Amino acid sequence: MPPKPRKPPPRKQSGNRNLLIAAGAAAAVVLVLVGASLLLRGGDSSGGGGGSGGVTGIEEAATLLDAIPQDRAVLGAPKAKVTLIQFEDLQCPICRRYQAEGFPGVVESYVRPGKVKLRMVGMAFIGPDSEKALLYTLAAGEQGKLWQFQDALYANQGEENSGWVTDALLEKIATGLGLDWAKLKKDADSAVTLQQANSMADEANQKQIQGTPAFYVQVGDQQPYQVNPSSFDPSAFASILDDALSS
Amino acid sequence: MVSDRALRAGVAVVALAGVAVAGYLTYVHYQPEALICTAGGGCETVQDSSYAELLGIPVALLGLLAYVAVLTLVAWDSELARTLAAAIALSAVGFAVYLITLQAFVIDAWCVWCLVNDLVIVPLLAVLTVWRVRRTSA
Repeated sequence: MPPKPRKPPPRKQSGNRNLLIAAGAAAAVVLVLVGASLLLRGGDSSGGGGGSGGVTGIEEAATLLDAIPQDRAVLGAPKAKVTLIQFEDLQCPICRRYQAEGFPGVVESYVRPGKVKLRMVGMAFIGPDSEKALLYTLAAGEQGKLWQFQDALYANQGEENSGWVTDALLEKIATGLGLDWAKLKKDADSAVTLQQANSMADEANQKQIQGTPAFYVQVGDQQPYQVNPSSFDPSAFASILDDALSS
Repeated sequence: MVSDRALRAGVAVVALAGVAVAGYLTYVHYQPEALICTAGGGCETVQDSSYAELLGIPVALLGLLAYVAVLTLVAWDSELARTLAAAIALSAVGFAVYLITLQAFVIDAWCVWCLVNDLVIVPLLAVLTVWRVRRTSA
């Protein structure tokens, strides 16, 4: 009788053995990576403005925007041909970076001479602090200082959703800018301000703005178009705005 | 029954998605202006934290290299290559769990793109590569 042929080893055993090898190697790699991450990390470069108690940036905001006309969320000469529309969340640290690095140059070179006007579209999608910051900023527009308030808020920006937008902070900024705090509080709670905020949210939704900051340029009454500056350096905005002005 | 060809294609597609996300995060690490804030916030906090680098190498870059390695192994396609790909994917799962824990309890902020990578791409890659290894012939 011929001998029974041996069955080949089942596939599954080979696969399972390889899987064990893979899992073992993975465990070793993870241990090394986690160990290195915990033991060898440097310090944090955390963002966040506002020191403990004091506020900063009030004078700078006042100086930067001194004598530039503004009408609520629009900064600059009403007849300026080109509008730079800024979609922003006052809690957004990237927006803060733009405010510090790009905004002053744009204001000095284009807004102050009357070539370009800025329009702020405030969004409040990062969290509750965003909503409060936006409502008070819009309310400051009722007293003609929306842009100073916005600039000072950015200068004192805290960690996202940490509850940094306190009444105390808002009052200090308002007082520092010469605003009527009682009126500011009342206007921040008003239906008019809420309507403004909702309109801005609608505009952002319509344009499907997924993140901030986002920039659009509008020439005259034409349809606004999105622009993507390569950096927050004023020169990056200069090429965009010069193109729009020459069109 | 899913064919090995389909699984192999699946691994390649997921690894390519990983290259895209990790590539973006790596780019953002070196070019911070590229980052935008999305709903919920947290991106910059996570990207700027001391946990974002390992021995001076951005974690995102490590992820990018891992995805490129998986793509290379998929092209090679031997038993050893499949095992190595699974080892890389399983390592990524373990490290992703660590990174999510850090965001939740230490950094106290979320990076949306990091979560897309850690909660979607990495687990999917692990499932597909492990599945291929289990089907390895003797």
